[in-house]
Amino acid sequence: MTFYEREINRINNIIYSNKEQIESVIGVRNYIDNNYDTDLNLDLISRLRFISKFHLLRLFKKYYGLTPKQYLIYKRIEKSKEQLKNGMSVTKTCFAVGFESLGSFSTLFKAKTGKSPSEFQKEQFSRSKLGSEFRHLETNKNYQDESNTN
Amino acid sequence: MKVTLISIPVRDQEKALKFYTEVLGFIIKKDKPLEGGNRWVTLVSPEWQDGPELLLEPGPNHFEPCKIYQDALMKAGMPYTQFDVKSVDAEYERLTKLGVEFSVKPSQMGTWKYAVFNDTCGNNIELVEEL
Repeated sequence: MTFYEREINRINNIIYSNKEQIESVIGVRNYIDNNYDTDLNLDLISRLRFISKFHLLRLFKKYYGLTPKQYLIYKRIEKSKEQLKNGMSVTKTCFAVGFESLGSFSTLFKAKTGKSPSEFQKEQFSRSKLGSEFRHLETNKNYQDESNTN
Repeated sequence: MKVTLISIPVRDQEKALKFYTEVLGFIIKKDKPLEGGNRWVTLVSPEWQDGPELLLEPGPNHFEPCKIYQDALMKAGMPYTQFDVKSVDAEYERLTKLGVEFSVKPSQMGTWKYAVFNDTCGNNIELVEEL
């Protein structure tokens, strides 16, 4: 066994010894992953897992480093980026990923990514358009290079 | 300030480039010549092409302490860095079929699943998946 494996096992036994807690928080995270687009809140999740909401909040933060609410927002913003890239409108995206108001979606999106949803979408489109133009140029260049060597 | 680049020390840039693109599946973002046959080669994930770039840096060949550090990590089984994957099990399956050697098979540590493989360029690399 390497030094690394010994250390990992040692640390594992100290900070991850409570298997029940770990199963609980993994269950909560999976639940958020599968239901981020619904009206999720801590009360509902804690009822589903049969633990008090404050205990759940503490546990989730302890194992994941962020609160369930922060994780939910992160998840929704990530999913909204995918939808915007696929060409879905900003309003549709907002509701598709579970936000209830366009205002809070736009504010959160800007706070997390540095751009508004529509700016983000515009940038994605111009990027993929530019990409294809460059690929076109590149193909021509290779063709010319080959003709020169011939 | 933004984090846009991480570097990984490699003994042979050409070999590393082959392993990181053909086996691991990264794609080349930048490749330009430097002095003495060295190159500035950076890679990105196909699914996150505007994400941080991975620089294949020939440090161990030019700076002895870098070589010593890399050797010590390798000997201790310690990963130089880690990459995030959707499924550690699936990557383990895929990479072992391609002949990649794992020093740690997929294992769980709390809310993480991880595995460690040899990148054939002097480093252990850890694959991680948050559960």
